[in-house]
Parts: sequence; C-alpha cells; structure tokens
Amino acid sequence: MAIGTLPAARAHARLPWRARVSELLDKERVLGPLFITPALILIALLVAYPFCMALYFAMSNAFIGRPSHFVGLRNFINLWDADIFRQTFQNAFVFTGISVAFKLVLGISLALLLNQQLWFTRMIRGAVLLPWVIPTALSTLGWWWMFNSLYSVVHWTGINIGLMDPPGPNWLGQKYYAMAAVITVNIWRGLPFFAITILAGLVAIPKELYEAAESDGAGAWSRFWYVTLPMLKPVLAVVVLFSTIFTFSDFNIVYVLTHGGPINATHLFATYSRMIGLESGRIGEGAAISLYLFPLLVFVVWAQLRFVRKQAF
Amino acid sequence: MRPVTRRQFLATTGTGLAGILATRTAPAVGQVREISYLCWNNFAPASDKKLSEIGQRFTKDTGIKLKIDHISHMGPQQAKYASEVQTQAGHDLVEMRMHFPWLYEPQLVDVSDVVAGLEKQYGKAISSAYEGAHVHGVWKAVPQYHGMFVCTYREDLFKKASLKVPDTWEELYTVGKELKKMGNPVGIPISQNYDSISTAGPVLWSFGGMEVDKDGKTVKINSDGTTQTIEWYKKMFKDCMEPEVLSWSDASNNESIQQGKAGWIHNPVSAYIIAKQRKLVTADGINHHRSLGGPKGRYETDTPRHIGIWKFSKNIEASKEWIKYLLGKKETYDEYIMSGDAFNLPVYAKLTDHPVLRTDPKYAALKGEGVEYHTYGWPAPPSDKVQLITNAYILPNMIAKAVTGTSTKDAIAWAETEMKKVMAG
Repeated sequence: MAIGTLPAARAHARLPWRARVSELLDKERVLGPLFITPALILIALLVAYPFCMALYFAMSNAFIGRPSHFVGLRNFINLWDADIFRQTFQNAFVFTGISVAFKLVLGISLALLLNQQLWFTRMIRGAVLLPWVIPTALSTLGWWWMFNSLYSVVHWTGINIGLMDPPGPNWLGQKYYAMAAVITVNIWRGLPFFAITILAGLVAIPKELYEAAESDGAGAWSRFWYVTLPMLKPVLAVVVLFSTIFTFSDFNIVYVLTHGGPINATHLFATYSRMIGLESGRIGEGAAISLYLFPLLVFVVWAQLRFVRKQAF
Repeated sequence: MRPVTRRQFLATTGTGLAGILATRTAPAVGQVREISYLCWNNFAPASDKKLSEIGQRFTKDTGIKLKIDHISHMGPQQAKYASEVQTQAGHDLVEMRMHFPWLYEPQLVDVSDVVAGLEKQYGKAISSAYEGAHVHGVWKAVPQYHGMFVCTYREDLFKKASLKVPDTWEELYTVGKELKKMGNPVGIPISQNYDSISTAGPVLWSFGGMEVDKDGKTVKINSDGTTQTIEWYKKMFKDCMEPEVLSWSDASNNESIQQGKAGWIHNPVSAYIIAKQRKLVTADGINHHRSLGGPKGRYETDTPRHIGIWKFSKNIEASKEWIKYLLGKKETYDEYIMSGDAFNLPVYAKLTDHPVLRTDPKYAALKGEGVEYHTYGWPAPPSDKVQLITNAYILPNMIAKAVTGTSTKDAIAWAETEMKKVMAG
C-alpha cells in the first residue's frame, strides 16, 4: 500500500536497488557465505578465541595476575615428570575406556529393548532420558550421598540384609572402588545418550531387511549380527566419538564424588587442570594439562569421521 | 526564572557529556558509591547474618552501598578469584584464607595503612595472620579473624569408659584403641582435603618434621620426624580409626562426631557449634581439650581470614572505609566476633582473651596456652610454591600411601620427589 501511494518517480528509483539486491541474493556464492557468516562469527568468538588463548597459555609460564613469557613446549615436557600427572593420564584412559565400552553394550541392549512394543512406550523412553537431563552436579551429589561412608543407603541396605559385613565397602576411599564408583556414575549418566541415539538408528532400519533375513531362515542372533549391527555402524561410530570426547573431558562427576582422590586415583585431565591452573594459580601448566590429549583426540575424530564417510558412501 | 532556550540546553548538556566521556568519571552529584564484598559461607552461620546487619548499618551511616555475596567455603572461590583477576572485573573486596594474599599479591592493594590503625588500637596481629597476609614487607590483606584447630571429643563417652583425656599424640593412640573397641573411633581424615593437612601439619611439627625449610627452597620432608609421623599414623589407622577416613571431605569428621560415631576428632569448634544450634543429642556430650604435644613441641594449625581489596576496584577508599567500619570500631568488631560463637576469634594481640571465650565453658581449650600456632607449610615462608604443595595434598597423600601398604621409606621418597618438582617448577 505504501508503494502505491509514493510518487511514481520515487517508486521507480527504488526498483533497481531492490532488484539488484534480489539478483545478488539469487547467486549461491553470495547467499551461501551470508548464511554461514553468523555461525562463523559465533564459532570464532566462542570456540576459536578461547582455544587460541588456551594454546597461548599452555606455551607460557602464565601465573594468575602476573606477566607471562613464552616457554614453548616446556610445560608439556615437565608435566610428564610428575607422578600425579602420569597417574592422571592413566586414570583418563581407564575411566574413558571402561565407561564407553559399558555405555556402548548397555546402550545397544537398552535401545533394542525400547524398540520393542512395550506398554507406556513414550513414558518409558522419557524416563530413560532423566539421568541425561538432570544437572550432573546435582545427580552426582545424590550418588555421593549413596557412597558416603556415614550415610550410605547402599551400606545400610547391604548390611541389614546380610550382603555386606559392617562397615561395608569403602567406596570413595579405596582406589579401585573409587574408580569403579566414578565409572558407574558416568555410565548411569551417559547411557540415555547412547540408548536414544541408537534407538533412532534402529527405527530407521528398513523392515524389509529383517523380513528378507527371516525368509532366509536367520534367527534372532543372526538378524542382529548381520542386519542390525552393520546398519547401525555409522550411528555407533558417531555416538562413540562424541562419548569418547565427553568422557575424556569429564569434570563434574570426579570433582563432586572424589575430588580426584584417594591419592589422586581418580583425577582426570579436567580436575587436575583445575587444581593446578585455578587453585594454585599456574594457568600455563593448567592449560597444558587440559590440552595434552588434543592431538590424540584430533586423530580419533579424523579416523572415526573417515570411517563414517566410508560407511555412508 | 529565565527560560532556557533549546540552543543553551544543548550546549550545556553537550559540554557536560563530553567532560564525562573524556574523564570517564560521573559528576560527583550523580555518583553513588557502591562496593561489593565476596566472602565465604561462615562455619558459624549466625555470623553471616550479623555481617549483613552490620553492612546495612554501614550503608545508613556512610551512604556507601554495600553488596555482600557469599560463596562455598573451599573450592569454588578459587575459580572465582582467578576469573576476577583475569578479567579485571568483579568484587571490590574479597575474603582470603591460607596463603591467598601471596598468590594474588600483584593484584591486591597495599592496606598497610588500615592494618597500622588496627594494630595501634588492638595490638599486633597474631603470628599466623602476619605469615599469611604480610607479603614482602607490605600488608596485602587486612587480618579479620581466625578459626583454629582444637581437639574435639565426646566427653560423655570418655567419662563412661573412664578414659584419660590425652595430652600427647601418643596418649591419643592409647585412648583411641579403646574408643575404636567401643564403636566410636578416632576421626582424622587422611584424604585430599584441607582438614587432613590441618592435622598432619601439627603432628609432623610435633615430631620435629617439616615439608620445606625456613629458607623456603630446601625440601626437608625426608627426615626422622616424618618417619615418626608416618609410623604414628600407621598404628592410628590400624588400631584407632576406620578406613572411611581415606574418603572424607572437610565436613566428614564434623558429621561423624555430630551423628554419634566418632569419639575424637581434630577440628575447629564448628562441630560443636552446629551440634548445639541444631540441638543434636550429641551436643551436650561434646567438649574440647588442649591441643596435643609431641617430642618436639605442641603445635596447632591456624587458618586466619583476611580481607583483600583488588587493585582493579574503582572504590578503593570506600572499600577501606568498610574494613575500618567492621574491624576498627571496637563495639562493632566485638559484636561480629560474638556472633561467631567462638568460631571467629579476633586476630589482634590485645583481643585474644575475648569475652566470647567465656560464653561457654567448653571454649576454655581455645585459649591455647602453651600452643604454637602456624599456617600450612610452616616453617617455610608462605609462597605460591608452598601453596601448590598444600593444594596438591602431597602431605596427606604420602600418609595415605603409607597406611594403605606402601613402605614408610617409599612414601617419603615419593613425597620428596613431588615436593622437589614443585620447588623446581
């Protein structure tokens, strides 16, 4: 309506400008980058800048609130001399390896179960997501309460039904038990992510494949091994990739449950990095700890994405 | 009144705005002085309420707005301090403990003038406060109060079993065996928390050991004193305690005695204060006794708190006014101390025999007669390296290794190597 009321000369003057913009936006080489630019700016601000800062800190002797100097790879080399760091390195692999393996096996099992025709399917699927939805620090506090030597409901129940001798297992004070405790909580928390993602993959498998396998005489196990698993491989690769990265960089569970103890037996890169970088002010060393596995994780990401592409094409 | 033309109005406001932008300072009329103070949740909760009350009075009396924020006692605040320093933004004043003034020294305002005024009024600051906040000849934070460790025990159980109140760490072993048999073991944490160091330190000192020498450089953990300390811990762990102490947090020993399990713990009076406030059945039976001695003396851990002002604060003078208001007025300082129910004790010489110690006969042990008080890492002067040895829990981890099977010699060798790496770093 507005254009219609403008004098004819002004309307004429605007048309070429609009037409020019419209013509420009029709070109893919202009429109594409235009759409991507906001995301690129966000990535540059929220990912690239902090990462570059971390890289700079890791190669400096930065100490909170004091001037720093470039020290090259010295932090990375010196760290390997510290017994606590070597222990942390070992812990991270044990924690991640066992957790991801359990989450994978249990995740597939749970997804297969959820894929069956159950009563209250939606409610059950929603309930399965709860550990993933609840803030980790809060749910880990609940676990801490259960593992606590004084208040443990696990101990109380175990002792009262005669399964445990008083005072019960020292969950957070014995190094193997403590590692088992943090792994258990990580599995409990990460299982829904595996189960729901794998369930999405299961639902997408064409029913015809199962019908063909059945007509060829394949049993339940053969159908799983020769149909389900191969079809799930790309989904599994992505889930394992994400979980490996998340589990390596886990912080909340260990920080709340054991604070890295007993005798550093559960320290992970994130908790140890915090102890050195924030609690003791040595930001340079702290950054080096958190970036120590970066090259390895880059390789894992590259290898797994390559695998996924091969599967897809 | 002559009407103001549009031209005159624009000229006046434009000049004023240009001046504000150039000087980056608001005109005095428009300036509202406001300061923010980050402090920890006090172990005696009534003290936080009193602080807020005094803060409101301060605002009323001076016109300076005061915002008090609280943060959990150990852990989160260090990340908060680090982020405030790195971003050069945040609170004006911060509560500090241990060697924090040493860690953040370049970022803290020199408050020697404030401390000089307080010392003139109340006498010298106690030695542990001096060790923690007097950095390279300058006061980098103002000593506020201290909460020292003491022996907390179930007097009712001791009387029932006719046990003698111990006077030395060796005597504690004797009664500890009986306590464990009664189902009320000794509760000394041997885990990655600060209470573990607060006990391990005095035991080590009383056997003649130390982590780092007075020069602040030479690691001295490999000594007869450390060997005796570890041997004492080994027999205590085996005969007087339960393995749960390896998993304890700072709060666990308090909870253990409050819930009726532990018969003896080493802790500030907070365990008793909370039991009393919550009217727990154990409150009446809990009492305190004099700190324990060893062959080389009678020591105790002291954890003085200080107030520091960040250099990036735009309200340094107003911040100093708040400190002077809280600590410099005797009646206000007394009021604040009394609210802490003997957990917060004054840190100046003339006030050490404070009336708060007479509010409950169970606080008599806090007079600390014949006890030498020091902060973590003593006799080494505080430094970032000593702080790192503390934060890495090398001392309690050395003991934990020894009580769980590592030989005393190997445990000490491990600690020595780790401490030397810290000192060399």
